Amino acid sequence: MGQQVINGLFLGSIYALFALGYTLVFGVLDILNLAHAAIFMLATFVAVALVGHGLHILLALPAAVLFAGLVGLLLERVAFRPLRARTDSNISGLISSLAAATIIEAVALEIWGPNITRFPFGTLPDGPANQLRLFGGTVSRLQLTIIGVAVLLVLALTWLVQRTRLGREVRAVAESPRAARVLGVDVDRAIAASFFISSALGGAAGVLYGLAFNSISPDMGRGVELKGLAVIILGGMGSMPGAVLAGFALGLIEVFVVANLGGSWRDAISFAGLFLFLVLRPRGLLGAAATREA
Amino acid sequence: MRIAGRISLVFAAASLLLIGSARAETVVKIGAALSLTGPAAAYGAQQKTGILAAVEEVNKSGALKGIKLEAVIEDDASTKEQGIAVFQRFINKDKVAAILGPTLSNTATAADPLAQGAKVPVVAISNTAPKGITDIGDYIWRVSLTEGQVIPGALKRLQVKLGFKKAGLIYGNDDAFTQAGYNVMKEAVASLKLEVVGTQTFAKPDKDYTAQLTSLLAAKPEILVVSALVENASGIVAQARQLGWQGPIFGGNGFNSPKLIANAGPAAEGVYVGTAWNKVSTEAPNQAFLKNMAGRGHEPDQFCAQSWTGVMVIAEAIKLSGKGRRDDVRAGFLKLKDLPTPLGKFSFLESRDGSHDPALQVVKDGKFQIVQ
Amino acid sequence: MVEQLTDFYLTYQSTFGYIGINALLALSIYVSLSCGQLALGSAGFAAIGAYAGALATMKADLPLPLALLVSALLPALVAVPLGLPVLRLKGVFLAIATIGFGEVVRLGLVNWEYVNGAQGIVAIPQKASIWMIYLAVAVTLFLLWRIRGSKWGFALEAIREDEPAARTMGIPSTQYKLAMLVLGAALAGLAGGLEAHFTFMVAPNGFGFARVVDMLVFAVVGGAQVFYGPVIGAGFLTVLPELLRELAPLVGIEPGPLRLLVNGVILLLVILFLPAGLVSLPRRLSERRTARLVSRALAAGAPGGPPPEAPGGAGTAA
Repeated sequence: MGQQVINGLFLGSIYALFALGYTLVFGVLDILNLAHAAIFMLATFVAVALVGHGLHILLALPAAVLFAGLVGLLLERVAFRPLRARTDSNISGLISSLAAATIIEAVALEIWGPNITRFPFGTLPDGPANQLRLFGGTVSRLQLTIIGVAVLLVLALTWLVQRTRLGREVRAVAESPRAARVLGVDVDRAIAASFFISSALGGAAGVLYGLAFNSISPDMGRGVELKGLAVIILGGMGSMPGAVLAGFALGLIEVFVVANLGGSWRDAISFAGLFLFLVLRPRGLLGAAATREA
Repeated sequence: MRIAGRISLVFAAASLLLIGSARAETVVKIGAALSLTGPAAAYGAQQKTGILAAVEEVNKSGALKGIKLEAVIEDDASTKEQGIAVFQRFINKDKVAAILGPTLSNTATAADPLAQGAKVPVVAISNTAPKGITDIGDYIWRVSLTEGQVIPGALKRLQVKLGFKKAGLIYGNDDAFTQAGYNVMKEAVASLKLEVVGTQTFAKPDKDYTAQLTSLLAAKPEILVVSALVENASGIVAQARQLGWQGPIFGGNGFNSPKLIANAGPAAEGVYVGTAWNKVSTEAPNQAFLKNMAGRGHEPDQFCAQSWTGVMVIAEAIKLSGKGRRDDVRAGFLKLKDLPTPLGKFSFLESRDGSHDPALQVVKDGKFQIVQ
Repeated sequence: MVEQLTDFYLTYQSTFGYIGINALLALSIYVSLSCGQLALGSAGFAAIGAYAGALATMKADLPLPLALLVSALLPALVAVPLGLPVLRLKGVFLAIATIGFGEVVRLGLVNWEYVNGAQGIVAIPQKASIWMIYLAVAVTLFLLWRIRGSKWGFALEAIREDEPAARTMGIPSTQYKLAMLVLGAALAGLAGGLEAHFTFMVAPNGFGFARVVDMLVFAVVGGAQVFYGPVIGAGFLTVLPELLRELAPLVGIEPGPLRLLVNGVILLLVILFLPAGLVSLPRRLSERRTARLVSRALAAGAPGGPPPEAPGGAGTAA
């Protein structure tokens, strides 16, 4: 039982980190960025390449995260900014992000091929010597590190959004771009910053995911992208605490479904839950109920 | 004298023609419909290498006098839509003598009927679904052993050796290959009178199996029986070890890849694989195959070995019937018996499925080794 | 010559067939888009139609027209209880809910032993021919054409432009949206049934998220503002992989990544520069030509003076 809780928290921490970036962009721009999973994947490959060239993982991780953020900036500039003026910007934004995701996956496929790869052995200390017993289950130092990094990033993001001027500007734009502009906020910069942060978080989630499961391939985003949707709906679109709460919740729910009903039910329950929430409580656990200003 | 002159002129011309045509080669095209992109891309890539290498080898050896093989390789993107399109291209545009593939069983059930209808022989090199492949018709043949031909014997040998009585099963339920494999494993376990302490499933895109494994291990099995493709297999093995499982793990054809050891590392020690290809066989055709691959700097897996064998089988069929047209290839298949291949002595069964001795391997010291 | 034509036809027969099937699927997305709804359940509806049609033929021995009727009706029936709660959702939420529906259908089929789970139903008799597929497309286009010019068409467009305003004008938007969802489900189901009887087999992994994304892309690239746009998009994007197969060796990139790259770039270019799709290309090109002619004419002549003869005349823009 304790082991399953550990399994659930571990899985949940990665879901939470992934969903955080997803929900940030949605909160600010009302757009579902389907390229998030592709950046998630790209950052992992970059980290693997850096570690392969001798860079220590403690340096490769921030480097890959920075790279992911920059790709996010590029994405915003090329694929989203030109569409902002349009009335159907959330549909066209979705499609644009889809195009970007396809291009990124094609590039990854051409550079690294279709095979799965992993971080070189010894990137992070692993093996029986690094296991701890906790609450009746085993958890590895690697898993604890990953949970720890995820929690740190969530705290850092919370601080950024609540306590800094940039965070205030982002929240203002999320509330109403027009009002924010009137108040003197550089809307373009705030949106660009949101994308940078969102993609950086996605990249971090990717590298941690890669370290955790060591099954890295150009299509590795597939498994998480739909789960990420379930998480942000459950948590409430645009709500960052919601994404974190829902990420951990979904991780735990999935693990317990598997333990008690079997693996075949796991995804079905996730999507059925997604569906129920959308129908009964579309704002999720912690989302804002009101419609948004244009 | 003029008549004699004309006759000798004609005679000279005729003999020149004869000499000329004896030196001219017929090109026989073999189509290969492979998944070079999409979820099955890793297998398609291995198959492509195996096919191209085998074709080169056959042409170099000159075994098919006057006939040169040419492989036409196309990507079916792991979808049936493109699998069908590629087959139709091979049949009507490239006019191939035979088709290898497609990689996935699902694509095969959609595309093979077209070849059957057009009377073009198909040699399946990776389809392992027990039904729905060779029973499409008498032009569909198979080199890859079905899981049913491999698993029961391997599991029985292992049970005799290790003496386990309780098994935990886990399989990928969203893939035709692994689902068919599970069905066979379930039956094999039942016929060995083993107690099934638990059954779990996962989906191909999954990377985390700890929930399923924790649940299985809590029921105290004595062996884990897994039906998975290599990308899931390596994760399952690694995570099982991480959760403290030191006991044996048994897998099917999907485990038979160097990627298992590369990705799972030390966790792969003690993993048993019931497989169609004995990688460490010392038989000459296998050693020649391995040497060829080493020369290319390529680490082959089972898919590679089976594709190479597919080409060799077609080449032998052409040799047996002396000509390289579609019906000649098929006629050759009917005659083919005990062909030495990297998979062992290969023959076709009456059902047109493949037949050769399967193998039981174990991962020891970071390498696959045969279990006697 | 005749042999070459026959060979050409036989080589590309399945491509022609799939152009039709994909056209129906693209139209199933379009009918919801035409009233502003991004409903992405069509892969699930197509799966229901495909399986229902295959079972109707193989287990119930129904003749093909009846089996296809089942293929179209069953998803349409399912669309009603699905639509009622879900059509209240706005924009992206509707999209996510319908994606969720599609996944639940796929997972249900994967886990259903009666239809062999992931291996699917095989050896379906190939009863659907290309003319049947195109007949279905033609009938659908005719239907949509009639809707367009009618009071229905106006209502749908009003709902798309501004739903609250349409409602204040007395248009029962929920009923219209539901009707379009049901129509879309029927079209997708019919396409599924036709595909099942054209390609000998059906399996769950042909009806996943990637498939409905393809359908959306067909509709958007072709042009989701007019009823024939999605057909153009389906045609173009179905033929594209075959074109790229010829092209790839010349360009030097592997055909697989090349195809993905080209798909992504085309989609990006269309959404950025040609949002009304490929069907709007002729109009956009001629608009630009007119604009260029007019500006040249204005620049050449003094304000108020007669413009000099521009090539073709300033007033001859098409």
